[in-house]
Amino acid sequence: MVESIIETNGLTRSYGDICALKPLDLQVPEGEWLSVMGHSGSGKSTLMNLVGGLDRPTAGSLRVGGEDLLALSEDGLARFRREFVGIIFQQHHMVPYLTAVENVMLAQYFHSVPDEAEARSALERVGLGHRLKNRPGELSGGEQQRVCIARAIINSPKLLLGDEPTGNLDHKSTVMVMELLKELRAEERFTVIMVTHNQDVAAWGDRTIYLDDGVLVREERMKS
Amino acid sequence: MNMNRRRWLIHLVLRALAHRKGRTLLLLAVLAMASSLATALGIVSSSMEKRVAEEVRKYGANLIVIPESARLDIGSGGLNFGVVSEPAYLQQRPVEEALAKSGLKAEVSFHLRGALHMKDADIMVEGVNFSDIRRLFPWWQLKGNWPAAGETVVGNDLASRMKLKAGDVVELVGINSKILLRISGIVSSGGEEDDLLFMALPELQQALGLGGRLTLVRLMVTAGGSSLKTCASSLQMLMPTAKVSEVRQTARTSEGLLAKVKLLMLMVTAVVLVSAGSSVAGTMSTTVLERGKEIGLMKAMGGTRREVILIFCGEAVMLGVLGGVAGYLFGSVIAQFITKTVFASSAEFIPWIAVISMGVSLFLALLGSIGPMISVFKLDPVRSLRGE
Repeated sequence: MVESIIETNGLTRSYGDICALKPLDLQVPEGEWLSVMGHSGSGKSTLMNLVGGLDRPTAGSLRVGGEDLLALSEDGLARFRREFVGIIFQQHHMVPYLTAVENVMLAQYFHSVPDEAEARSALERVGLGHRLKNRPGELSGGEQQRVCIARAIINSPKLLLGDEPTGNLDHKSTVMVMELLKELRAEERFTVIMVTHNQDVAAWGDRTIYLDDGVLVREERMKS
Repeated sequence: MNMNRRRWLIHLVLRALAHRKGRTLLLLAVLAMASSLATALGIVSSSMEKRVAEEVRKYGANLIVIPESARLDIGSGGLNFGVVSEPAYLQQRPVEEALAKSGLKAEVSFHLRGALHMKDADIMVEGVNFSDIRRLFPWWQLKGNWPAAGETVVGNDLASRMKLKAGDVVELVGINSKILLRISGIVSSGGEEDDLLFMALPELQQALGLGGRLTLVRLMVTAGGSSLKTCASSLQMLMPTAKVSEVRQTARTSEGLLAKVKLLMLMVTAVVLVSAGSSVAGTMSTTVLERGKEIGLMKAMGGTRREVILIFCGEAVMLGVLGGVAGYLFGSVIAQFITKTVFASSAEFIPWIAVISMGVSLFLALLGSIGPMISVFKLDPVRSLRGE
């Protein structure tokens, strides 16, 4: 039996009177690609932020990779993120004054030591070998998202989180990005949690969970 | 190529500063302005101190040391007939030792005054070292030459009274010897010196049988920093049997005026520094607000609060160093202009001013960054990435 990389028990997140995530029990086996679907405000991003160590739950327990995230300090969470997690955002969030290769090296800087050769190789893997010295403003949305993928995988994370990574892309770029993620996952064997609105994107995963108003309402296993 | 972390940090800092050229130039201008003011005022203040010291030198000795004479009150019952005092002398060697021990920076001249017999009359003679006299009393007017060995100079009034002129040879009779001296010049000071005959100190000591004795020591204290009063009292402690007094009010007035001007300069500098610090803080805060998503991203990628703050500190330090260098160069030019215009002299290079200039700029850059750093420290990555 495959071990769970993520285990939540009664995981809850409230903002004042508003409960963004109601007590959630969830297990994600190591290596699984889990798609999280739901309307805006359903708690998808909240779940992703909690699992990625970007936010703290109000109640419940949360273990990721055997680490009890509730027991970690602020700096402990930062170390957890750098060692364990790679994140791809919908808005890309690239540093505007750094080139593509430097944006990847920034993730290396926070993890250990910047290595330009490794960063170049990561960008070549995502098909951007010819855009190394371009700044974000000189790249298309799809290219920027591929830089973000290279940045997310450069430190060999065990868990890759995608917060609607194809939300701003056209159909062609979306397919390209999803195929790339599938290839990389096959090579690197990381676990994927992908938050999305798009049923087609969710279909790339092994399993999809549906959240509504902070509650897990449905679960669906994809046919391989 | 493997870039180490420190080099990468510098690279990152330079890229961030270059990206916001306008704001970087504004911050640099503010820091350079503040540190150039500190530099200019430092150099001008130092030049002013030297200039005032030079001016004070022109007034001659500013401290005198005289022996405490033995005093005896004469009287009986309710009647007081006055005071009699017998001549008292300073011992030259202990005075020299005390001066060396005090560490004072001073020009010194030793004097012995006594009466010698000349042409059937007693005249007052002063034994001095002529090279000291020339340094301490540059305003004395001399007709003729300063004396060489076997020569003397005579005060203007004494020369008129005794009908003496340069080139005459005079015979002076003391307790132990007769001395023949050729008059090399007639001196005029406009003071009591015009009634004296000057000769070499050791010769007079020998003629009066007062070897190693002095009646007066004149000092021209030139050391800046401590006041004349402090110098006098510290010297007095080393010479309890002598009396140390200030002779000129000018020096004290100059010191007082200089202290007031320096205080004014410090206050102006403080006001400018506070304004510059506020300006830096405002600009840095705006920068941090604008870079909220960037900071959130760094934290989301695993940057600890310390690591992210280090990047912003690096930017502040870089701005501080560049502002300090620019401020020092600009301030030196301003100082040069002021000293040339006001004191008609050129300002000199003072290494410690460069350190002060750099320190002021760095201090302001870091002080102005404290508020923004706290914001960076507290910033929540999720909210900042959402642009809240």
